[in-house]
Amino acid sequence: MGVVSVIRTVDLLEPPACGNAPGAADDHDLSQGKARLTLAAFMAIDIGLALISPEGEIVMTNPTFDLAFGTIPSKQLLSRFGFDPSYDGGKASRPIIFPDERIYWIDITGFPDGWLISAADISERLRQGIAGVELSRIDRLTQLANRLVFHERLADLLTQPADVRCDAAVLTIDLDRFKAINDTLGRTIGDALLCLVAKRISSALAPSDVLARLDADEFGVIQMGRDQPEASVTLAKRLVDLLSRPYLLEGQLINVSAFVGIALLDDADIDVDGVLKNADLALHRAKQERYAGYRVFESAMDESMRARRALETDLRRALALREFSLVYQPQVNLQSRRVAGFEALLRWRCPTRGPVSPLDFIPIAEETGIIGPIGEWVLRTACRDAASWPGDYMVAVNISAIQFANRSLVATVVSALADSGLDPRRLELEITESVMLDSRGNALGVLQQLRGLGVRVSLDDFGTGYSSLGYLRSFPFDKIKIDQSFVREASEDPGNRAIVRAIASLGASLGMATVAEGVETEDQLARVAADGCTDVQGYLISRPIPPGEIEHFLAESRNVIDAATEVSL
Amino acid sequence: MSSELYRCVYYSRNLIAGGPARIAEEIESILAAARRNNPRLSITGALLFNRGLFAQVLEGPCESVETLFEKILRDERHGDIQVLAFTASSGRLFSNWSMAFLGRSREDENLFGHIGRQTGFSTERIAGDRLLEIVRHLAYEEEARAA
Repeated sequence: MGVVSVIRTVDLLEPPACGNAPGAADDHDLSQGKARLTLAAFMAIDIGLALISPEGEIVMTNPTFDLAFGTIPSKQLLSRFGFDPSYDGGKASRPIIFPDERIYWIDITGFPDGWLISAADISERLRQGIAGVELSRIDRLTQLANRLVFHERLADLLTQPADVRCDAAVLTIDLDRFKAINDTLGRTIGDALLCLVAKRISSALAPSDVLARLDADEFGVIQMGRDQPEASVTLAKRLVDLLSRPYLLEGQLINVSAFVGIALLDDADIDVDGVLKNADLALHRAKQERYAGYRVFESAMDESMRARRALETDLRRALALREFSLVYQPQVNLQSRRVAGFEALLRWRCPTRGPVSPLDFIPIAEETGIIGPIGEWVLRTACRDAASWPGDYMVAVNISAIQFANRSLVATVVSALADSGLDPRRLELEITESVMLDSRGNALGVLQQLRGLGVRVSLDDFGTGYSSLGYLRSFPFDKIKIDQSFVREASEDPGNRAIVRAIASLGASLGMATVAEGVETEDQLARVAADGCTDVQGYLISRPIPPGEIEHFLAESRNVIDAATEVSL
Repeated sequence: MSSELYRCVYYSRNLIAGGPARIAEEIESILAAARRNNPRLSITGALLFNRGLFAQVLEGPCESVETLFEKILRDERHGDIQVLAFTASSGRLFSNWSMAFLGRSREDENLFGHIGRQTGFSTERIAGDRLLEIVRHLAYEEEARAA
C-alpha cells in the first residue's frame, strides 16, 4: 500500500548511514528511485496528508494539507482532527466541519512508527449530493413538489385504511392550449404563467392538501379528510373558475382555460398509476366536453378509452396489412356535361370489425398521427391510379390539417407525382378551412409552394365551420366545394338555398369553380344548377366506384350523365 | 419588467350575499384594504360598485398593477372577471384611490352615496372616456339584473 511506503521512504530520505554493506549500492539506488517517486506523489496528491511522529508531532505535510490547515496551530489542529496519541485501534475515519464550512473526510491510520493523517475535502461533493436530493424533489420553476413527491404521498395514502382513503381524492389540472401560448408569446411568458397558475392553485387549497407539478402544464392535487366527491367537485369548480380568469403578465393580457379531472380512491385494489390514469381519463373527458371544465372519473370512461385504443391498434396495423382501399366518386361539369374528375375516398375493411366508417377512424388517425402514413398512401395510390385512366381527368385527394402542419407534405406530393408520372395539373388537393386555422400562418406558404408545382387546390366543406371570406381572399383556390348539408336540405330551407346561391356567385366573381356535393335527386340538381354551381358530385351521377370500374364508367358516362341531366337541365 | 405606467380596467360580478348592512360592511373592508395597500404600490384608480357589479380602474407601474390584480382576482366576493383594457398609459386618470357607488337605485344611493364624497371620487377627468362610458352601461345593466 502506498501509504506504508511513504512512511518507509521518509526513513530512506534520512542521510544514509556510513559504511554501506557490500552489494547494497544497487539496492540503494533502486530504493532511492522509488523514494523520490513516492515523495513526488506525496507532494502532488490533492488530498491533504500529514505524518505524525510517535510523540504526536507533525513531522511532514504536503502542500494540499498546508493550504487547507496551514494557518491553524498544530496542537489545535490535531485535537480538532480528534487525534489521540494513546489510541491504537487501527484506522479511524470521520467527517469534520471546519469553521469556514468546508467539510473534510479525515482518516487517521496508525503504524508502528507513527500515524498518517489524510484529509479529503468533500464539501462540494456533499453539497451537490444534499442539494441533489432536494432538487430531485422540487420543481425548480414553480418551487412546488414534483411528480416523485406526489407519487410517494399518493402511495402512502393508498396504504391507509378504507375510511381515510374514501375521504381523499386526486385532481389533475391541465391548461388548454398552453403550448400555443408558449409558441406565440415565448417561453419566458409561458414559464411566468405557470408560476402564476401554481400560486392560484395554492391559494384555493387547504393546508392539508398536497400540490405538485406533474408535467409541463399539468398539476396534481391530493385532497384529504373531506367528504367525497362533494369536496373535490367544489375544489374543481373553484380551480376551473380561478385558473380561467384573466392573467396580466409582463404588460400582456392572457386568457387561458383550465380543465380538471378527479379520481376517487375508494377502490381498494388501485395503485398510484391506476389513480393517476383515472384522473387523466376524467381530465381528457372534461377537455372533450369543455362546458363544465371538470369531470369525476367513471369506469365507463375507461371502457370507451379502451375501445378507442383497440381501434387505434387495429388502425396501426391496417396500412401494413393492406386493409385500406380507395374508391372514386365522379364530378361532372354542368356546362360541358362531361366528367371533370374523381374524388378519391378512403375505405377501411377491418377483418374483425368489417367496414369502418371514415367518420369513426379518421379522427383517431388524426389524434394519434397515424394520418401521416395513411395520407401519404392515399396520395401515392390516387396519383398512380389516375395516371392509368384513359384521359386527363383530375383526381382530388383530401389532405387533413395534421398533414398540412407537417413540413414534408410538399416533398411527398412531389415524390408521388414523380413516381406516378401524373401531370401535376391533374392533381387537386382538397383542404378544409381548419388547415388555415391550425397552421398559424404556415399554411399559406405551403399552399403557394403546392400551387407553384402546378397542383390545384380546393376548399372543402365550405359553408360549415367559420366559412371566413378572408380565407377565400387570402388564397386563390381553384374550387369551392359546397357542403352537402346545404344541398340536401335546400329543398326545405330557403336560407340554405340562399347560401348556395351566395357561395356560387362569390365563386364566379373570384374566378373559382363551385361544386355542389351530395346531389342525390334531379330536383337538387336542377336547383344547384339554377343557383349557379359549376359542377356537381353525388349519388345522382354515381356512387364512389372501385378503381377497376372506372374505365367502364367512363365508357358509359355519356349515357349516365345524359340520363341524369336530361330532365333537370 | 417594465416600470412604465399601465392602466387596467376590469369589471366583475358582485357576489356579496346579504342585505345592505352586509354589503356596507364588505365595502368598508375593501376600502380599508385598498387604503392600506395601494399607496405602497403607487396605485391610483377607482372602484365603482353597485349590487350587481364591480368595475375597477387600476393605474400604476406595470408590476404593481399585475401584482395587485393577481391578488384581487382571488377575492371570492366577485366572479366572472372581464378585463376590458390593460395597456401602457401616458398619464393617470385618477390622482388618488377612490371608490364610488355607480347605480340608479335611489335606495342604494342613500346607503352608499357618501363613499364617493368621502374618498374624493371625481368624474372630471374621466368624463368622455369611452371605456368608462361602457362601464357605466354595464353597471346599470348588472344593477337591474341583481335587483
